[in-house]
Amino acid sequence: MRATLFVGSSRGPKSTSHSLASYLAQKLEQKGVLTRLLFIQQALSSHKGIDDLLKAIEQTDVLVLAAPLFADSHHASVIRALELIHEHIRKNADEKKRIMMAVSNSGFPEAGQNNVSLAISRRFALECGFTWAGGLALGGGEAIHGKPLEKAGGLARNIRKSLDMTAEALANGEHVPEEAARLMALPLMPRCIYVQAANPLLVWIKARQNGSKTSVRHRPYQ
Amino acid sequence: MKALILNGERKNEASLTRLEKIIETEMSSMGCVVESVLLREKTIAKCMGCFDCWVKTPGVCAINDFGNQVVRKVAASDIVVFLTPVTFGGYSSELKKAIDRFGCPMLLPYFRKVNNEIHHKPRYNPMPYLIGVGVLPGPDAESERIFKTLVERNSINFDVPVPRSAVLYETRDSESITKEVRALITDLKERR
Repeated sequence: MRATLFVGSSRGPKSTSHSLASYLAQKLEQKGVLTRLLFIQQALSSHKGIDDLLKAIEQTDVLVLAAPLFADSHHASVIRALELIHEHIRKNADEKKRIMMAVSNSGFPEAGQNNVSLAISRRFALECGFTWAGGLALGGGEAIHGKPLEKAGGLARNIRKSLDMTAEALANGEHVPEEAARLMALPLMPRCIYVQAANPLLVWIKARQNGSKTSVRHRPYQ
Repeated sequence: MKALILNGERKNEASLTRLEKIIETEMSSMGCVVESVLLREKTIAKCMGCFDCWVKTPGVCAINDFGNQVVRKVAASDIVVFLTPVTFGGYSSELKKAIDRFGCPMLLPYFRKVNNEIHHKPRYNPMPYLIGVGVLPGPDAESERIFKTLVERNSINFDVPVPRSAVLYETRDSESITKEVRALITDLKERR
């Protein structure tokens, strides 16, 4: 069995999406699944990259999309990759059986804010003739910030458990378990701690460190 | 009122020009000054997620291309129309690359709570009305539901009042499409 894991973040290897995908890939490998990780933005930057991406789809039995939430859905590059894959599958009348799952991570603390993004992934799967194996939604994903999940300590305990279950299910050709979805959606930290990331003093300090010449609230176009 | 139509049609696929013209005509007849942008003809690099538009050059994207023009135009508009082929229930990649680029600059890094969810505060006040017009070859209940939900969620994130959306079918005649477009834009009042 072959699995292809797409990382949809513009931050590539330094992203939470990569942390999630690479951990899941490891677990799949331990279960005898051949895996391949592809960075979508990198793939789309050249004709060769796009060809590689489409070849990977042709050869895969399992497709995993790990991507961040951008304005309630996927980043434009992820949507572009999905459009290309869909067009390729239709043009070639490709009827190979594949299963697909997605894990969406949001900067906002509520995992439910990923729901539309997962619905789009599911719709894509159906329109390509893939079996939808389910989705996982993570809130407050910025807390992982590209760290390997094994090194993220207690913060990522539920995420690791969720992906362990997911790897087991996918390796057996099964649906993502509800318990895996429940664990992934649990808050990483209390919301009162999360909102400190937007503490006006901390933001002001960051802006000063970056040499910002205007107020953080500046309205350049009004 | 100033209206901006962001046309997210894809290259080598069904043109959305007929619909764009209907929307322009109807908005002009209600007194709007309308600008339409065919996004696939513009150089808009993908958002890098760097947050410079929050903590380095507030309100301005670090990438100096048409994407910054999109932010300027959205900020100056009373109404923004997302015109797009419905793509797996969502927006086309052409439209989304523009939305990704104005998403952060139009917002502040600070939070507000809406219906017990965390969202960002808007940078501008007021923010423009948002109207989503999706196009499908024919009826598709699931895609339509996802599209309408997406426009509602965007409206919450961008702090715009009363989300409005419609999914139109390519095969419909201009008269019935005109009626639907009129229903979408009725009651929009001057906000500035």
